[in-house]
Amino acid sequence: MPLRRILVVGGGVAGFSAVRELRERGYDGELTLLSPEGLPYDRPPLSKGYLLGTEDAQKIRLVPEAWYAEHGVGLVPERASALRPSEGAVELSGGRLVPADRVLLATGSTPRRLGVAGGDTALTLRTRADADALRTALAPGARVAVVGAGLIGSEVASAAVVLGAEATLIDPVVPPLVPAVGRALAERLQGMHAERGVRTSVSVPVEITDDGGRRLVRLADGSAVEADVVVAGIGVVPETSLAEKSGLAADDGILVDAAGTTSNPAVFAAGDATRLRRPDGTLARRSEHWEAAVRSGQAAAAGLLGEAPPTFGAPWFWSDRHGVHVEAVGTLDERQAPDGRTVVRFVDGVPQAAFLLAADGRLLGCAVVDLPLMVRAARRIIDRGLVPDPAALSDPSADPRKLAR
Amino acid sequence: MSDGIDVGSPEEIEEGTARIVEPEESGFDEPIAVFHTETGCFFALNDICTHEEASLAEGWIEGETVECPLHSSSFDLRSGKVLGLPATEDARTHRVEVEDGRIVLYPGRDAEQAVRPSGPSAG
Repeated sequence: MPLRRILVVGGGVAGFSAVRELRERGYDGELTLLSPEGLPYDRPPLSKGYLLGTEDAQKIRLVPEAWYAEHGVGLVPERASALRPSEGAVELSGGRLVPADRVLLATGSTPRRLGVAGGDTALTLRTRADADALRTALAPGARVAVVGAGLIGSEVASAAVVLGAEATLIDPVVPPLVPAVGRALAERLQGMHAERGVRTSVSVPVEITDDGGRRLVRLADGSAVEADVVVAGIGVVPETSLAEKSGLAADDGILVDAAGTTSNPAVFAAGDATRLRRPDGTLARRSEHWEAAVRSGQAAAAGLLGEAPPTFGAPWFWSDRHGVHVEAVGTLDERQAPDGRTVVRFVDGVPQAAFLLAADGRLLGCAVVDLPLMVRAARRIIDRGLVPDPAALSDPSADPRKLAR
Repeated sequence: MSDGIDVGSPEEIEEGTARIVEPEESGFDEPIAVFHTETGCFFALNDICTHEEASLAEGWIEGETVECPLHSSSFDLRSGKVLGLPATEDARTHRVEVEDGRIVLYPGRDAEQAVRPSGPSAG
């Protein structure tokens, strides 16, 4: 039976990328995108320009509204409440049944809650509504305690001080992000917090108390941080409830292959909600980055159409905080490079790029602060399996453009 | 429409790089990047990425595409067509010619085809 009706559940960048890729691959049947938050938008700005107020809701839309009609995509602002494979349909939260030959679950993730007494009072940041609430709270003079100094927590703390609030970052790991960007850059980034007026506290919360409007984040080291608002940026939990209710295999993520196939051949999944099961049965770590969501949406579009998914190169992410642009491609995690080594490029004594080299000299990863051409060169070096000259990598006068050629 | 302006000799823009022509020079209301590809062609696009504030002239130029230095959206230098998220709008093209050994930019006029220094002038 030809494939005539595809329903995509979830209007984040994974679901949107799948929809777009389906049309680019020539699928001309019915295509419905369930997007409970309405017109799909891009989430990375929520902790950056949107939070700072330099980008508005219109600016962060993935595409203008007219795009959906132009591409024959039915945009439905509802949730799916159940998959009904025996009826070839999906039930929406309003009770309506939408027929579908194949379904793509791109249900995303939700912020991990702070599991201590009073932890439910902490704000989290995932949706535009979350960002709106947080922006209101980040008023000049407000005292903000941010739990978790990873990418989102650091971006929120950075935005807070720009907006005139006082920020304290709480994290037990100093510096954080060593596996993501290498130790040299992680230390540089950690040092920027103090330079920009963000206090850091090396501990973990044990309790949040609210005593007549005086909110205290009590820490394991016995100290306490007084705050008007507490924000938790401690990771996300994949949204697998619809999948699990429908009997799909899941284990900290809906289990999929490289084409997004789940344990039900009529149901595919993509994005933050998923976890890759490799051909040998082992499970990969979930990826929570933007580019990975785009790619998995594209791969699942291929899978939905019974086509081979594209092969993708080394993964990439970026972060913006304290006025610098941080990027990394591949991995900087030395545990993944036995007998490998890390090479650092310094400019005027400041680390600007870090490279992880395998024992055989191949490049495994590169992280940079404000050195965009280097990470683009590195991506090509990695994907082409080239063996770069370590001296050139660390030489601040070596043009990145020449390194990948 | 403005007339063509001389933006230098082909040797002055190294292959794989670009030169920014500012509004004061071009009379166009936005900076324009003139790209010299490793395939020996010249192209021009509005310099600022259609997604966020980033200079495409500082991006990675490969084949006949440029990759934005900020969030890695790529654009086709010939047509300005956007090739990947997060940008979704095409970039504006401008016509470039090589005339008598000089690169001539026609700000505000759409590109028609690639121009090679050694080849015949375009349309």
